[in-house]
Amino acid sequence: MNFLRGISPTGWKALIKLGIALFAALLIGLAVGHVALAIAIVLAVVLAIQARNFLRVERWVRPRHLGEAPDINGVWGELVASIDRIQRRRQYHKARVMELLREFRRLTTAMPEGAILLGPGNEILWFNPRAAEWLNLRRKRDYGMRVENLIRHPSFIEYLATGRPEEGVVVQEPGSSNRWLAYNVVRAGELGRQLLIVRDVSREMQLETLRKDFVANASHELRSPLTVISGYLDALAEDSKLDPTWHGPVLEMRRQAERMSLIVSDLLELSKLESGQRSSPETTVDIGGLLAAVRKEAMALEQRPEKIILTLDSDALLRGSEPELHSIVSNLMTNAVKYTPPEGEIELRWWTDDEGGHIAVRDTGIGIAPEHIPRLTERFYRVDAGRAREMGGSGLGLAIVKHALQHHDGTLTIDSTVGQGSTFVCHFPTSRIVQRSNVTELRQAVAE
Amino acid sequence: MEKSDLSHHILSRYNDDLERVRTNVLRMGGLVEEQLKQAVQALVEGDSRLGEQVALGDQKVNAMEVAIDEDCSRILATRSPAASDLRLIVAVIKTITDLERIGDEAEKIGFIGSRLASVERPADRYREIKHLGRIVGDMVHEALDAFARMDPEAAVAVAKKDRLVDEEYESIQRQIITFMMEDPRTIRRGLDVLWVARALERIGDHAKNVCEYVIYMVYGKDIRHVALEDVEEHIQARVQRNRGS
Repeated sequence: MNFLRGISPTGWKALIKLGIALFAALLIGLAVGHVALAIAIVLAVVLAIQARNFLRVERWVRPRHLGEAPDINGVWGELVASIDRIQRRRQYHKARVMELLREFRRLTTAMPEGAILLGPGNEILWFNPRAAEWLNLRRKRDYGMRVENLIRHPSFIEYLATGRPEEGVVVQEPGSSNRWLAYNVVRAGELGRQLLIVRDVSREMQLETLRKDFVANASHELRSPLTVISGYLDALAEDSKLDPTWHGPVLEMRRQAERMSLIVSDLLELSKLESGQRSSPETTVDIGGLLAAVRKEAMALEQRPEKIILTLDSDALLRGSEPELHSIVSNLMTNAVKYTPPEGEIELRWWTDDEGGHIAVRDTGIGIAPEHIPRLTERFYRVDAGRAREMGGSGLGLAIVKHALQHHDGTLTIDSTVGQGSTFVCHFPTSRIVQRSNVTELRQAVAE
Repeated sequence: MEKSDLSHHILSRYNDDLERVRTNVLRMGGLVEEQLKQAVQALVEGDSRLGEQVALGDQKVNAMEVAIDEDCSRILATRSPAASDLRLIVAVIKTITDLERIGDEAEKIGFIGSRLASVERPADRYREIKHLGRIVGDMVHEALDAFARMDPEAAVAVAKKDRLVDEEYESIQRQIITFMMEDPRTIRRGLDVLWVARALERIGDHAKNVCEYVIYMVYGKDIRHVALEDVEEHIQARVQRNRGS
């Protein structure tokens, strides 16, 4: 009797009603003498009622949007109530999803950036209105199209192919808008999907160009008046007829003028490095000889540490621009000399290993606190503003080192302990190392 | 509708081959676009280094043409494409020739640009050339877009721009002749600038050719040497019929 257990109270009521009706039919049938006929009539009535209810429910359920629920009692009524409940819940969820979707669409429309969703083969799956506006995309027409068919700039294609998403790429829009767009790829969930974020960086690019042009022009314009001032100051300092009270001020003026021309020439050098202009072609540079020359320059200074050691662990050559490499080493050397007391020592070292070539400048100077290290290569960044000014220097040395290293695919690492000294190491990739034997072979080959 | 043309092959490798060729053509197009842009920039801004760079960069364009050409021959030999696939391959072979020519013209402009960098610049700072360069650059860009989307309507719109380029070329020519008559010392520079204008005008023609191949690819109609208005009418009729059915 398992099937009886699941019957609801309304179900029981209906069964009892049916039982009573059948019992009444039996009694009446016995009284009249036609039991079968009486039962048949009662069953027919019951069936008719059920059929009517069934048809009403069926008519109510058939259309896609359910209207007012029919008013029925009993088991059918319960069935109607259940369907109605399910339907309402579904409508509620649907409304919520629709609302979320609308919200999402509003958000992506309001986004200041363009966004394009890419499939595993870089095909366009979706994009927001901003991306459509900037890249002239159209909904439906461009869905499924490979993105590199429409954004064809060589740098962009290279960026997409290398799969190094952190870096991003900035390209100028072809066509008349001249807009600068920065692209960044972000992994988006599984299935190899990626989100391509597009930003309009025209303003930044304009400002950047403006800044570079200004620095280059200003330092160029400052140079000629400075030369005149220095010239007259030199003449004045040597003039024996000058009032002795003016000796001090003139010397001070000369020192400051020298410092100013140093800053200007550093600024010029930096702006030249930044614009990617090559001052000289690449050759194979003998680092051993270069380091020896820098050491000699430092030894000639009056105020210098007692010991300046040169360690050459490799006789390999480095492919690069000689003036730029010299500028790197001499800038690091100048810093080391400045911040190392006379009884300290400086070591210059050149060595090669599996990772490439390395130039180290180690000193036993005052050292740098760790919080300053990440910002050292910013232009005009001072660890101690007062002292740095006293020491002279333009505040551009390490910025120049950084940019010149970038030209040589190199990196700079700084290791320092306050009070014990600092080590600056320039790393160059293996692709730039040239072994001496190769050079002789090459020369021989050329000679033959 | 055009997309399904490329995706009905049971052999998915074949599909990949066709798709790859198409993408490579567009990559080559992107390279050419950039070359053209930099060449005009080198001239207008008097940047001799950039001009030399453009002149050297043409090798890359040439290498791509050879690679795509080989790829097409291989597909023709091994897959024997038919109907729309065959038209795609034929259109690709023609398109890369025109793209390569555009690259050559850009190289020429870059070379002249690097030479003119050391010469005194005219008062208008090559404004006319810049303007013409922008129109032509847009044409190349839109022609490649039409190729990517296989969009014949856009192709006709681009091809029509060629007339504008011709007019601009005429006006630059007249202007330069006037300058040369006024001051014979500018003749040397004037001739160079005339060459640049001529190169840009030629690039416009090549872009128009690319558009014609797009129409050929989609409809199988050769519209070379046919008046553009007739082509437009024909396309309109096609589109109407497609919508009707």
